[in-house]
Amino acid sequence: MLLEVRDLHAGYGELDVLRGITLTVDAGEMVAVLGPNGAGKSTLLRTISRIDTNARSGSIVFNGHDLLRASTVQGVRYGCLHVPEGRQLFTELSVDDNIRLGAFTVDRKNIDAEVAAVYARFPALAGRKSQTAFSLSGGEQQMLAIGRALMAKPRMLMLDEPSTGLAPQIVEQIFGILADLKRGGTAVLIVEQNAYLTLQHADRAYVLENGEIALSGTAAELNADPRVRAIYLGGSADEG
Amino acid sequence: MFQLLVAGLTVGSGYALVALGIHITLRATRIVNFAQGEFTIIGGLLALTFVQLFHANSWFALAGATVAGFALGLIFERLVLRPAARSGEIPLTIATLGTGFILLYGHALIPGWGSLPQPLPSFSGEASDAINVGGVTIQVQSMWVLGLLFAALAVLYIFFERTYYGKAIRAAANNPTGAKLVGIDVTNARAISVGLSIALAAYGGTIIGPITLVGGAGGTAIAIKGFVGAIVGGLESPVGCVVGGLLVGVIEKLIQGLPGVQYGLSDPIVYSLLLIGLLLRPQGLFGARSAVRD
Amino acid sequence: MIARLRADSRTLPILTLIVIVFGIIAAGNPTFAQAGTYAAIFAIAAIGLSLLMGNVNQISLGQAGFFGIGAYAVASLTTNWNLPAWLSWPLATLIGIVVATLVGLGLGFIALRFRGHYLAMATLAFGLICVGIFHETKFLGGAIGIEDIPYPRFGPLTISGYPAYWFAWILALGAALLTLNLLRGRSGRAFEAIRNDELAAEVLGVPTRRYKIFAFAYAGALAGLGGSIYAAFLGIVVPDAVSVPLSISLLLMVVLGGSGGVSGALIGAALIGFLDISGHQFENTREVAYGLLVIIVVIMAPGGAFGIIRSRFKASSAAALPTCHPELVEGQPQSHPTTATPRTITMPDTSAAPLAVSHVTKRFGGLLAVNDVSFELTRGTLTSLIGPNGAGKTTLFNAISGIGRVSEGRVEIAGVDVTGLQPHRIAALGVGRTFQNARLFGEMTVLENVVAGAFRTERTSFAADLFALPSSRRSEREATERARETLARLGLESLASTLARDLAFGDRRRVELARATASDPWLLLVDEPAAGLNASERAALTADLLKLRDAGMTLLLIEHDMRLVMSISERVMVLKFGTMIADGKADAVRNDPGVVAAYLGTAG
Repeated sequence: MLLEVRDLHAGYGELDVLRGITLTVDAGEMVAVLGPNGAGKSTLLRTISRIDTNARSGSIVFNGHDLLRASTVQGVRYGCLHVPEGRQLFTELSVDDNIRLGAFTVDRKNIDAEVAAVYARFPALAGRKSQTAFSLSGGEQQMLAIGRALMAKPRMLMLDEPSTGLAPQIVEQIFGILADLKRGGTAVLIVEQNAYLTLQHADRAYVLENGEIALSGTAAELNADPRVRAIYLGGSADEG
Repeated sequence: MFQLLVAGLTVGSGYALVALGIHITLRATRIVNFAQGEFTIIGGLLALTFVQLFHANSWFALAGATVAGFALGLIFERLVLRPAARSGEIPLTIATLGTGFILLYGHALIPGWGSLPQPLPSFSGEASDAINVGGVTIQVQSMWVLGLLFAALAVLYIFFERTYYGKAIRAAANNPTGAKLVGIDVTNARAISVGLSIALAAYGGTIIGPITLVGGAGGTAIAIKGFVGAIVGGLESPVGCVVGGLLVGVIEKLIQGLPGVQYGLSDPIVYSLLLIGLLLRPQGLFGARSAVRD
Repeated sequence: MIARLRADSRTLPILTLIVIVFGIIAAGNPTFAQAGTYAAIFAIAAIGLSLLMGNVNQISLGQAGFFGIGAYAVASLTTNWNLPAWLSWPLATLIGIVVATLVGLGLGFIALRFRGHYLAMATLAFGLICVGIFHETKFLGGAIGIEDIPYPRFGPLTISGYPAYWFAWILALGAALLTLNLLRGRSGRAFEAIRNDELAAEVLGVPTRRYKIFAFAYAGALAGLGGSIYAAFLGIVVPDAVSVPLSISLLLMVVLGGSGGVSGALIGAALIGFLDISGHQFENTREVAYGLLVIIVVIMAPGGAFGIIRSRFKASSAAALPTCHPELVEGQPQSHPTTATPRTITMPDTSAAPLAVSHVTKRFGGLLAVNDVSFELTRGTLTSLIGPNGAGKTTLFNAISGIGRVSEGRVEIAGVDVTGLQPHRIAALGVGRTFQNARLFGEMTVLENVVAGAFRTERTSFAADLFALPSSRRSEREATERARETLARLGLESLASTLARDLAFGDRRRVELARATASDPWLLLVDEPAAGLNASERAALTADLLKLRDAGMTLLLIEHDMRLVMSISERVMVLKFGTMIADGKADAVRNDPGVVAAYLGTAG
């Protein structure tokens, strides 16, 4: 197991956002975390990557390292990369600079080959090397964020709602790249709103509701489970 | 008239470096360092000490003061800015005011620094050397000031625009969360930025040393005019800060040179520029609207 | 806030005693008396700055300018006119204060545009311009200033030397008392609300801009008074004495003594005033010590000396008060549903819909957040607004309550066109609003929060508060009564004395609801009230909302909890990417294929 989260509790002040989350991710598999708004999906990723330091109890072990004792920077060195909601690009720097800075923890000099590989994966970016990240479209920004994360040679890539605001073809493109990474042995942990589409590409999934895991299983199982829809839209599984 | 221009650019170089130093610290810490002017004065005094202690020339002193300034900046960030930041933005600003206060009154306590302002040895030849260009007399020292200003700007430009590490520091200021996600230590980046900013202050205080004299209570005036330059040119824009500082220097000298105008009037007019600038175009000539509004 | 005011009121008599004792000691020592007089003079200006910084969260590096206005008013007038002695100084002082107040209103207006270091620089510029004007104006003596300023004289009594100590302190303590009056009334509560959360204050009907301007004017007036005494006491006024170093000294006094309220300012001024007499040989060391002290205080004790004193107060009084700490384990709320009879809500007499939104569109640059949304609410109903993340729901709420301008369209509340109005004007019409993250006033108790909620029902004024007039006290009593009733209505009475930031999460939402309904609004906008609540808390919330609806309130709810929404809403509207894609009864909306696709996505 590459990532093992056990009984994780996290929150802000009195607010309990994550109430006892347990999940696992293995190398080479794509695991989805689904659920309605406010369920805690983003908080989960942010707690793993240590941007949020509000974990109260439980454990997060990544490749043998105790992440709860690590900082975000250390997590990156261990190979856990997070592409957050809002992407957090360096808006005033160029596309090329953003990509190169992604290798900060790995190697700063001899990265030309890796940079070329990123442009090969995302041809749209190749034409905009010297433009600032701010000037890119939503889809291009998402691709840049992923490309930048790839430069650190991640063992696991976590993505928070990468499809937000993107055209369907681009979303397909991104899922294609994720499948590629998966085949190469990188683990992918993806949080998404678009449940049905994600279930088509993921291997396994967890459905969060109010900070707890309500359902889990293989993608095929959950795709056919009527309870998924009930969680999103209220009512019981037998209605509508 | 051209004479006034050159004089204005010379004194404006000092303001420009103050403004640029404020800009760099602002980028890194999100607050304005109200002690920047005082650090400039300290820089000049440090250079003077190098000259007196090591019987060195001004070039050696410039290098020494700049390095010492960098070290001072790191100490300043670690001992004052970092702990005070926990208390909030206004307390942090007040901490810089307190620091300025200490430097303003405290530097006179250091032996040799409390005496009347004295000039730094010139960067070449005699302090009064001047050349004649088309009927206009230009002090050689003025040319050094401008030259050294541009040298510093060039070095900073190369660092921030062309080196990997410089870009990493900009990234840390631009988006601390994004920087962490990429593995950049934001706290270190911040410390280095402040170090650079104070090094720049020391550098600025030294290069104007041969002309403007070193020491005395001039820090407040330089600081305030540096602010005016930063506001007029654009606090959030490095080019704006430099241009603004130079502009303020030129305007000051032009006003002082106007026939029939009281000499003392240049100061209130320059300060009014600050308020007018804040009212009409708070983001400055080169800045973008977003940073300022409520 | 109550705790701080109480500490302040208890410290003030002690400080008065110290002033009296010191005054008696100083009878034979002119140096002490002089230091004490200066302390009083600066204390007056420091009180104003303390209110500005500590109670309203603004910064001013320009107080010396107002000090100078008062000083020069007295200096130039009393040396030039020929009025009877008993009238001369008082009238000059009055004129000085009036001018300072007017200028303060102007500076306050300008200051609205700035925040943080920009505000610091703007006020610094103001101070510098004042000095520049003093320096260059012939009538004011130019660089030399004015000298031979006569002492104030009332009959046989000349206010100079030793009598000046008592004169100055009487005025200083008077100023402190007036300021305490202000802080105890509605104005003080408004300041505190603005300081804690300006936006939340606005939607309760507090005209935040007006109060911030008042604060600057008040601080200016007090500084002017200080300057007036200074000029007559010293006998000379020069521009350098009322310049940046004075502004910074005042700032240091307020930081060292503790900002907010009056005791801190008095302590800080006394501290610096007495240290200043330590003589010439300590000149620079003294200032270095001040600077070091300020940095240490900022880092370790941001509340200043008074902050330290107050924490002693809290420690001893905590034992005395009954413990109100809610159980923190399991998030059990202290509150419980109640059976108290609700007040009936009445809308203005009109047939217009409580809320009518027509073709509202809101753009942020290129992003279309709300796209041509139109709907009308029916009186006395509960409607829910749902939609996936980023659908524009909160943006729509903001547009309705006046936060940010709509790009296109119109909002009408009870027939009144409120498009583009400031939030406090809309709130004053009778509209309440809660926020996604329960924006309570953390430093105020639950009761104070809810009293703040009754703001628009209070009938008093700044002046009435200042002089503690009967109308101010009556308004205070009535608002507190109303707040207690509201708390009782929601079963929250036991939490009345708890500090808002100490509340358990489940209680925060209900307190915010109590605050929003304290003024009996007939239209209530509720933003995600159920987020983060557990099952029993949700049940309590549902009961509260239904109770409000039954009392006649019209409610519009943003929620993500579908079970809650479907169970209590008569009508559900669905927003996706800013566009309304469904609007009807709960069941119909839930089964609408467009809605299903919006939430769960399609198989692509």
